[in-house]
Amino acid sequence: MSLPRILVVLMLLAPSAQAAQVHVTAGVDSLQTAIAGSAPGDVLILGPGTYAGPVTIDHAVAIEGGGQAVIDGNFKGTVITITGDDVTLRGLTVTHSGRRNEDIDAGIKIKKGAHRALIEGNRVVDNMHGIDIHGGIDCTARGNTVIGTQDPHMVARGNGFYVWNAPGAIIEGNTVQYGRDGIFSNVSRKDTYRNNLFRDLRFAIHYMNTNDSEISGNVSIGNHLGFAVMFSNRVVVKGNMSLSDRDHGVMLNAANSSDIIGNLVRGGTRKCLFVYDANKNLIANNRFEGCGIGIHFTAGSERSAITGNAFIGNQNQVKYVGTRNLEWSLDGVGNYWSDLPGFDLNGDGFADSPFRPNDLMDHILWSQPAAALLIGSPAVQLVRWSQSNFPATLPGGVIDSHPQMQPITIPVSPEYARMEALVADRWLKDTENDSDSEPTH
Amino acid sequence: MSDIEKKGWSRRSLLGATAGGAVAAGALGGRLSLMGGAAGVAALGAGSAVQGATAEGSFSVAPGQLDEYYGFWSSGQSGEMRILGIPSMRELMRVPVFNRCSATGWGRTNESLQILNEKLSDSTRKMLAANGQVSHQNGDLHHVHMSYTEGKYDGRYLFMNDKANTRVARVRCDVMKCDAILEIPNAHAIHGMRPQKWPRSNYVFCNGEDETPLNNDGSTMDDVSTYVNIFTAVDADKWDVAWQVIVSGNLDNTDADYEGKWAFSTCYNSEMGMNTADMTAADMDHVVVFNIAEIEKGIAAGDFKELNGVKVLDGRKGNNKKYTRYIPVANNPHGCNMAPDKVHLCVAGKLSPTVTVIDVTKLDAVFESDIDPRSVVVAEPELGLGPLHTAFDGKGNAFTSLFLDSQVVKWNIEKAKKLYAGEKVDPILDKVDVQYQPGHLKTTQGETLEADGKFLVCLCKFSKDRFLNVGPLKPENDQLIDISGEKMKVIHDGPNFAEPHDAIAVHASKMGNIRSVWDRQDKMWAETRKQAEADKVNIDDYMDSVIRDGNKVRVYMSSQAPSFSLESFEVNEGDEVTVIITNLDDIDDLTHGFTVGGHGVAMEIGPQATSSVTFVAANPGVYWYYCQWFCHALHMEMRGRMFVRPKKA
Repeated sequence: MSLPRILVVLMLLAPSAQAAQVHVTAGVDSLQTAIAGSAPGDVLILGPGTYAGPVTIDHAVAIEGGGQAVIDGNFKGTVITITGDDVTLRGLTVTHSGRRNEDIDAGIKIKKGAHRALIEGNRVVDNMHGIDIHGGIDCTARGNTVIGTQDPHMVARGNGFYVWNAPGAIIEGNTVQYGRDGIFSNVSRKDTYRNNLFRDLRFAIHYMNTNDSEISGNVSIGNHLGFAVMFSNRVVVKGNMSLSDRDHGVMLNAANSSDIIGNLVRGGTRKCLFVYDANKNLIANNRFEGCGIGIHFTAGSERSAITGNAFIGNQNQVKYVGTRNLEWSLDGVGNYWSDLPGFDLNGDGFADSPFRPNDLMDHILWSQPAAALLIGSPAVQLVRWSQSNFPATLPGGVIDSHPQMQPITIPVSPEYARMEALVADRWLKDTENDSDSEPTH
Repeated sequence: MSDIEKKGWSRRSLLGATAGGAVAAGALGGRLSLMGGAAGVAALGAGSAVQGATAEGSFSVAPGQLDEYYGFWSSGQSGEMRILGIPSMRELMRVPVFNRCSATGWGRTNESLQILNEKLSDSTRKMLAANGQVSHQNGDLHHVHMSYTEGKYDGRYLFMNDKANTRVARVRCDVMKCDAILEIPNAHAIHGMRPQKWPRSNYVFCNGEDETPLNNDGSTMDDVSTYVNIFTAVDADKWDVAWQVIVSGNLDNTDADYEGKWAFSTCYNSEMGMNTADMTAADMDHVVVFNIAEIEKGIAAGDFKELNGVKVLDGRKGNNKKYTRYIPVANNPHGCNMAPDKVHLCVAGKLSPTVTVIDVTKLDAVFESDIDPRSVVVAEPELGLGPLHTAFDGKGNAFTSLFLDSQVVKWNIEKAKKLYAGEKVDPILDKVDVQYQPGHLKTTQGETLEADGKFLVCLCKFSKDRFLNVGPLKPENDQLIDISGEKMKVIHDGPNFAEPHDAIAVHASKMGNIRSVWDRQDKMWAETRKQAEADKVNIDDYMDSVIRDGNKVRVYMSSQAPSFSLESFEVNEGDEVTVIITNLDDIDDLTHGFTVGGHGVAMEIGPQATSSVTFVAANPGVYWYYCQWFCHALHMEMRGRMFVRPKKA
């Protein structure tokens, strides 16, 4: 066996076994040869330079690039394919996968059945898909920067993270920019997506049929849609931000038994929160600000609690489409409404009378902004009084029996605020498409 | 948020806290105050605040007036075809096809059993016998389509599929009765089904959705690599299989072009996965294009093998012949709809928020050369979440149902092409909410060259809270949308029983050959006529004969309101009794029935029709038979006695 291109500088016996650190220099087949010659537990340390892909890793090795090594797939297939357990990739730049969506060409692909891959601190740039956890189990991707393509045709772009059937995946602290969806998650479970930053994408997180999972602390800026959670049960959506996304900040579609807590949606979005046939959810302490619609709540969504949220300056605070009566407070705690005309004479922090957020006045206030000056005026009070006594033109409606006098605040870091400002007018043109044909009341 | 947790707030309290009861609902008094409230609003300058409180629109068809369109509806697992009027959305008729019908005796009469059982496979006959059944009792009728001549509805036939038992059926439009049912061999679970549009519907194309071994005898059932799917062309005139094609991946929906060159099928399981995860593993699936002329050539040249009496040709990927091509489209596509502009095929993305538009005039190149099959894609607009099906107004616009957004989106095909080519245009013209979760949607005559852009019917899968609560099982909601203007307008909610998947709207002028009275020479009772001739009974005339043939008894009767020609007949215990009745009335809407008490026997006999039914008289005694279809002022008196003599001890 010849090892012409492998320079073994050091061979340190690992404490437990014969694992070694192997230094590899850039070359045409040097990486493939090093992998072939490595033993489970070895660490391959790549020197600066470009290494040719594609590469398949079928046993437990760590490959470290120190930020200087580039693995280039030369636009053919997937650049790095992981088929073995306990593989680590760290500090690499992975680039130029093929462009075949039919094969889900990716920068890094973890194949079905591979356990515990750790993908950390890599730059994954200009690939069809970035990191594809395609059936890998208990894998972690942390602190990577994934930059996709800007092909004008969305279908010709790929996802930053493609998660399919990958229970136990942890995707955290990554940055994804360009491409199709930040994380496309389909038919998986027990996954955690947290503290990632998503910009200039279609959906930040496109989430289908992924039960028992967590989406927390993520930031979506300037995407078509922030967080779409669909056909999934027992999901925690907590402390995320959707800033200047286009369609919806958070969308719950057939997402049940989930907690939507402490999220911030603001600016430009057609709907801050879209709740569609989503049941048994806790929607608490979120701040919905400056959207076309604060909450669009429809399709018979049942048995949810809406409490402690702030609705601030949305054109239409609540669009409820349904025929049932809903109470939007819980255990005596309602929500903050920027258009609340009420008083808190006893100083308990709650308005003294119930608030019906989706009444006739909503329409007036956003179609005639000047009318906001009249919120306390006798004419408006009269409209509201007659509605409060004779509630609705159609059956059903939303009432908050314990509206709060102060909104919850969710701070945005200066860095995110700067990114938000960059895209603030991105979607202005498109806001006309949304439907408002339904009766709201 | 932490203070919520500190308060000991638990999910359990949430589930107990059904909010509805807490709110005091206003009663009728609200309407009075509404007037005052609206007046106050008007004073503030927002006139449209009370929208939709009184839905008024052109769905209203006054008593005595007729609808402009026939709507032919599928009923899914109910197994029947339904006829609705559009725009009134009134249900006009139910036509039993794959189901057993209590009213008409479909599935019980000899004439219907002949149609139901004539073209069953041997294995199905074996299964039915093993289960003590005379015929299939259920069907899953998803798609109804009318026969075409030169791209237009011709009012001859309606075709429909049964996904449950792999059958296709044909309904005659002159009498609105099913006249032929075919179980398709080799394929499994016929889902997508569409007639050829040009030059006429010589073929009906049928997609086999379920994957199985070609020889499904259990010998290779554990080896998924032997599984295939079958595309079938049924000869629409003979109602037999013309040919079949083995494909790669499974088959979902299908359509045909307006030149008679192609058929198309979507595939959501190119992976050939056997569970949900594996079926969604790929980012791209495909649409298969079938080259009709090349397949016909291949069949003529003998490039097939015969299986269960059918010519089966191999059109799988990697086969470099010109039978098929596979065009990649995004993840798990569903709807497959050919635009009446003759050029654009719209493939809905389902799991991708896009519709892929294929220019079918570019398809020849894909068959003739090695160019990228995606080169036929000329637009791929992002329309919203869960696009399922697309309909057309004949003016260059398309309407796509968005299952997840629960909307219909109106978009312009040319603008979508410009966007794809790099221009900054927005192809989306309008979106409207529908209630809830739309599947198929259809425009008036929108699947023909005479698309007129007047109405759209959107078949919603859930009605949830749209109607009075009728228990856990709720109706579907078929919504009527006025598409004649720039903006779509939902103008009618139509509750419907399980479960319309598809519908077409045919202008009433196309149905000129529809009859009110049967022709005595109709082939529907041809077999019965043969038996009568053998018995020397003229079933076209008044008849009151009882023919005994061993332990078989044939009772020939006429019915004429308000009496049967036989006020009684006599059989022996254990006899097999066949009652043959001709309805001699020839007046519109004068249908008679025949029901035998206590024998599970009931049938419809239309004006000038003959029907027959066979049963065993198992118990001695007297049993009244009667007309169950109201016919006359003395309808109640239209009855008679069947005497069943006890067996001699």
